[in-house]
Amino acid sequence: MTDLAVQPSNQTSKVSAKGGAARKKQKPFVVRVLKSPTFARGLFLPAVLVFWLISNKMIEDSWDFDSSVLATPREVWDFMYAEISGDTVAPNNLYQTFGISLRRLGIGWVVSMIAGTAIGLGMGLSKAVNAFFHDWVMALLAMPALAWALFLSLILGFGDTGPVWAVVLAGIPFVIVNVREGVRSTPTDLFDMSTAFAVPRSKQIRHVLLPSLFPFLFAAARYALSIGWKGLVLIELFGGQDGAGWTFKFWYDAHRLHGVIGYSMFFVIFALVVENLILEPISRRVFKWRPRLDAPELVEEDIDTNLEKPNRPAPARSDVAGTI
Amino acid sequence: MADIKITNLHKEFGVGVDKVVALENVNLELGGHVFVSIVGPSGCGKSTLLNILSGIDTPTSGSMTITQEGAKAAPGYVFQAARLLPWRTVMDNLLFVQSDKSDETRVRCQKYLDMVQLGDKGNKYPGELSGGMQQRVGIARAFSIEPDVMFMDEPFSHLDAITARSLRRELHSMWAETGKTIVFVTHDVGEAVELSNRILVFAKGGRLEDDINVELEFPRDPSDEAVAVAKANVLRKFEELDLVAS
Repeated sequence: MTDLAVQPSNQTSKVSAKGGAARKKQKPFVVRVLKSPTFARGLFLPAVLVFWLISNKMIEDSWDFDSSVLATPREVWDFMYAEISGDTVAPNNLYQTFGISLRRLGIGWVVSMIAGTAIGLGMGLSKAVNAFFHDWVMALLAMPALAWALFLSLILGFGDTGPVWAVVLAGIPFVIVNVREGVRSTPTDLFDMSTAFAVPRSKQIRHVLLPSLFPFLFAAARYALSIGWKGLVLIELFGGQDGAGWTFKFWYDAHRLHGVIGYSMFFVIFALVVENLILEPISRRVFKWRPRLDAPELVEEDIDTNLEKPNRPAPARSDVAGTI
Repeated sequence: MADIKITNLHKEFGVGVDKVVALENVNLELGGHVFVSIVGPSGCGKSTLLNILSGIDTPTSGSMTITQEGAKAAPGYVFQAARLLPWRTVMDNLLFVQSDKSDETRVRCQKYLDMVQLGDKGNKYPGELSGGMQQRVGIARAFSIEPDVMFMDEPFSHLDAITARSLRRELHSMWAETGKTIVFVTHDVGEAVELSNRILVFAKGGRLEDDINVELEFPRDPSDEAVAVAKANVLRKFEELDLVAS
């Protein structure tokens, strides 16, 4: 017969007063600063500048090269400052240029979101609609933005129509695919719950279907914006007469490397502004219900863990001993 | 008070060689202030029966009627997982299943949140709560529509033993206080004996094999000899009916 009784142990674990955490000495302030992510992030720009200057110097020293072609950080900064101040030799200043491109991007993005969402919903809900559009969407996904730029320039010529179509065609397949996957992964258990509680269908669509689609719609919007922007710059570069892409090529044709680098920097700044000042705050607001990754582990609160019999005296130890 | 009447309820999934009988001509009548547990091996149709009763699924044949007093919209349902809308706060999750959002409704929802000891968590999102707390919100949601009938599908099976036992206590006191008809699916015979005054034993193939009355005084403690004997008797019934997995 196996004795399953648990014997109380007389052994006690010895715990040192100097626990592991207490023993760990805090590192000096300078070391902590040097190892911090903020410092690492701040270090990136000076490192790029140093690398840039050293590269320029090495090329000048080792290669018989016209050093005036190479742009220094100072020249790029002066160019950017002049552009920001509205002082430019290009046909349009920085604000007019970005205004033209943003108008095209905005129209194309809205069209791609509306049409892409409608087609994506249809593909997610109907096998027949999915079968009809599937190959076309795959073809659009595989089509490089450069091909659209050349094709649309040829058939639509200069003006706004070609660039707007380029944004639509570059962004729409990503919207369709994301929305279709969103519809396919709608939480059926939440719909069953709603049905069990006799929640009306319209309320289910508003409070269950649409919120469950938001993450996919948001991802689609981000993709469509970034891919659409790249497509727009390309078509303006090849088949435009104004806009950010065309102005970029203007500085390239003028053999002004500081202009090319400066405009590239404006693109980077534009992307950072859109991401950090528009998309990220919207994302934080819309998805505030998502648990933070660094949130502390959840524990039960206010639970009555008194497991003795309610309204009855607790049994004597001898009553329960040996029942295992 | 509510009455549930089930007549020749039959449910099949699939067709041809893939056909599976989930419920086989079940006949049953329940009603009044009763706590009924449905026990049986996996795949015996316990959850299918609840899904049909709640309107999530439809039967292949047969009929069932649920009669509630007044103009109650639907029975309450507590699921195995809480099934809360993660993008809505705790209070909004309760309001989602209500027919209106009047002040009176809000007060009623708050009352049931207080009953499950989550009165101060109304503005929290489900993701900010532990699994046990989410399940208590699920219980409060089901009670908040004040139905005469309540369905519960293994509501404590995902929880740790201490939390599950605490919630069983809360559930029992809420049932005693509100006088509802509760139909409770569980695979835990001990849980069924602790909570119910009637146990329905289902066998593979969805056959209702036995209907056992548990005439023990409430509250019941699993360490009580009478409760242990009752549990042993139900388990013996399982063996007699050859329901124990070999």
